[in-house]
Amino acid sequence: MIYLVIAYAFAVATLAGFLVWSLRTLRALERKP
Amino acid sequence: MNRYRTWAALAVALMLGAGAAIYYAPTDYLQGVVQKIFYLHVSSAIAAYGCFAVVLVGSLVYLRNESAAADRFARSGAVVGVVFTTITLVMGSLWAKPIWGSFWTWDARLTSTLVLWIIYAGYLLVRRMADPGRQAARLAAVVGIFGFIDVPIVHFSVTWWRTQHPRPVVVNDALPPQMLATFLFTLACTLVLAAVLIGIRYRIETLLDARLRAIEPAPIVSAAPEAEPTA
Repeated sequence: MIYLVIAYAFAVATLAGFLVWSLRTLRALERKP
Repeated sequence: MNRYRTWAALAVALMLGAGAAIYYAPTDYLQGVVQKIFYLHVSSAIAAYGCFAVVLVGSLVYLRNESAAADRFARSGAVVGVVFTTITLVMGSLWAKPIWGSFWTWDARLTSTLVLWIIYAGYLLVRRMADPGRQAARLAAVVGIFGFIDVPIVHFSVTWWRTQHPRPVVVNDALPPQMLATFLFTLACTLVLAAVLIGIRYRIETLLDARLRAIEPAPIVSAAPEAEPTA
């Protein structure tokens, strides 16, 4: 059970982190002239 | 920006739905609950194949007509593909530990997948280290095209060689219907998320290219030689 939890926690953290980082980068680029 | 937020929210909602489906999927008789790693592990691997196919097509188109858009697609596919390959490798290792007794074994499937990750991480490194321009784009396109050779090697490694990694269960009708439905739903959600991420990265690359063009110095135009003064 612990391996299942760690595996999905890692996947969710990686995908969510990458998505948020990409959206923040996009927002920063669109704001700057 | 709002358009991308909407797509990102849709992708997150789909992933939450996939999570619920995985939670309710039947538990494997032999492996127990840890078998549920399968749903996102395999979906991530297929999403990575798709991303690297985007790199292949983008690289081929770039080498053919030097389309900047194709190069941007290739860059976007590579970074998202590396993310999904990382998830595939880590989830696979965490699944292997309770089933095989170790996190890693140097069998053909695992090794070729690690090589795939290294190839495309190298591709991204080339893009980051080299001065942006035609030369770097052409070199990266060649890496992107030859790197894709590893994708069929990864996929068929379990049938070409004797491996500890199991053979495909989806194409061999080895999954019960409930598990198959859960897998297909998870796969669809993962592919939508991959497409959304590539779209966002493409927009970022477009803005970065525009900024780069804006700061590039204007080409030096050589002035016509002045006429010699006549006596």
